[in-house]
Amino acid sequence: MATANSRPTVLPGDEIDPSLIPQSKNKPLRLGPGLRHIPPNTILPTVAGQLITLPHKSSMWVEYNSNRYTPTASDLIIGTILRSGPDFYYVSLSPYTASATLPHLSFEGATKKTRPQLVPGSLVYARVTLANKHMDPELECASASTGKADGLGPLTGGMVFDVSLGFARRLLMGRSRQEGKVEVLELLGGDEGKLSFETAVGRNGKVWVGSENTKTVVIVGRALKETDEKGLGVEAQRKLVRRLVKETR
Amino acid sequence: MPREVEPSLNEKQFVLQALQENLRLDGREIDQYRPLELTFGDQYGVADVTLGKTRVLAKASAEVTVPYTDRPLDGIFTIATELSPMTSPAFELNRPTETEVLLSRLLEKTVRRSNALDTESLCLIAGQKCWSVRVDVHVLSHDGNLIDAACFAVVAALRHFRKPDTSMEGGVLTVYTPAEREPVPLSWLHSPFCITWSFFGDQGEIALLDATWVEEQIRVASCTISLNRHGEICQIAKLGGTPVDAVALLQCSGVALTKAKEFSTYLDGKLAEDTKKRNKGGLLAELSAENDR
Repeated sequence: MATANSRPTVLPGDEIDPSLIPQSKNKPLRLGPGLRHIPPNTILPTVAGQLITLPHKSSMWVEYNSNRYTPTASDLIIGTILRSGPDFYYVSLSPYTASATLPHLSFEGATKKTRPQLVPGSLVYARVTLANKHMDPELECASASTGKADGLGPLTGGMVFDVSLGFARRLLMGRSRQEGKVEVLELLGGDEGKLSFETAVGRNGKVWVGSENTKTVVIVGRALKETDEKGLGVEAQRKLVRRLVKETR
Repeated sequence: MPREVEPSLNEKQFVLQALQENLRLDGREIDQYRPLELTFGDQYGVADVTLGKTRVLAKASAEVTVPYTDRPLDGIFTIATELSPMTSPAFELNRPTETEVLLSRLLEKTVRRSNALDTESLCLIAGQKCWSVRVDVHVLSHDGNLIDAACFAVVAALRHFRKPDTSMEGGVLTVYTPAEREPVPLSWLHSPFCITWSFFGDQGEIALLDATWVEEQIRVASCTISLNRHGEICQIAKLGGTPVDAVALLQCSGVALTKAKEFSTYLDGKLAEDTKKRNKGGLLAELSAENDR
């Protein structure tokens, strides 16, 4: 990688080179996932990964891949409804972990009478609003301030595919092609694949793919899983898409 | 004990719809297995089988014990199956789930009751001493079709296994260490393999081989056929579920035979490869105390 020096690999407990820590007079330093502040002025990585620093935003975090999802506020996730309570839906974010709560009225335009009736097993695309260490996380499907859904809500039809957390994060990056090195979805939808489909990516390692055509969903799912499991680069992704499209035509 | 997670409604509907259009999520044909891989350990009798993401490890071992009083001329042969919480948090030690009971019963019926291992050859002194052969099956990762993978692992481990050589002289039984005499293979009669079909749809009209975990969760019935490469069926287990047409089952058993032949050829190839690797300089034939028959 060209920017290898600006993205050093750190291990848990490593000392961080003080020259890498952004120094800013007017902005306080913001620490992201994987870093821990030990007062007065020690910063230690708690996971193994690439240390990323943004001097102009005065922030730093560790980019890493894992399989276990820990909810963080403002994450977009895909959850499965477990059951409905008097005021909340209980939603599972990952298997064998505590369920999250989603208020019945936290959907766009929902009132007591018009709220969506979700049966156990249905999928929702939601945002984490509250994530504390010893409490069940809370979710919302409509922004609390504007009341708009912004694409969140129940997911109907389609299929969910499990991917690693790092891959889900790469897919969600604003410029996933340059920063995350994932181009597979653009290729499938573009000239290479000419497929029409929609996706929703959850930070909990789930990707929902919907399309009118069942075959399209299968191709997109296979492409995503293979890219993730084999760690394919951009060129390899292009080859993979070509192969998959050819195979099924 | 946490419950096994269930696939969501969207997943269930989609997998069924795709199957009706003859598509599988991983792009396989309906009668195609995931890539099967077998590796033997450094010791004799260790077989590690991976079938896609399912992984099973089988270890065979032998010790000298007293035979059962009602069967003084037979050795003892047991298969111990254990699904540990390492496989999935839904499994708990010492509290067998339905999957575990079915798995051990099927292995028992396939390998033990079909007399794949000649237990009479395990007898050393009638009524006093015999070999007790034990196979431990460890499921390391569960992504569906445990039965086929576990059965293949058990058969591979037993065929790879060598027990210490023994001799009887004037009523004295001697068990030789591997340094003194090359260990001898078990007396193996035939290699049965399990082939599991899963059925989908209201009438069970769609039949698949080698179902993954998701497919297993939504199937309406399953049928395990155990047979060897000569087409001798050891058992057929269809435990409950939707009734399936008899003609369809006949077709299934026809395909199962070709699969069993493929498994058998693959296993023979792997065993030959392993023997070649161990037989450095071609000295194994001289060390062996076995007679050619």
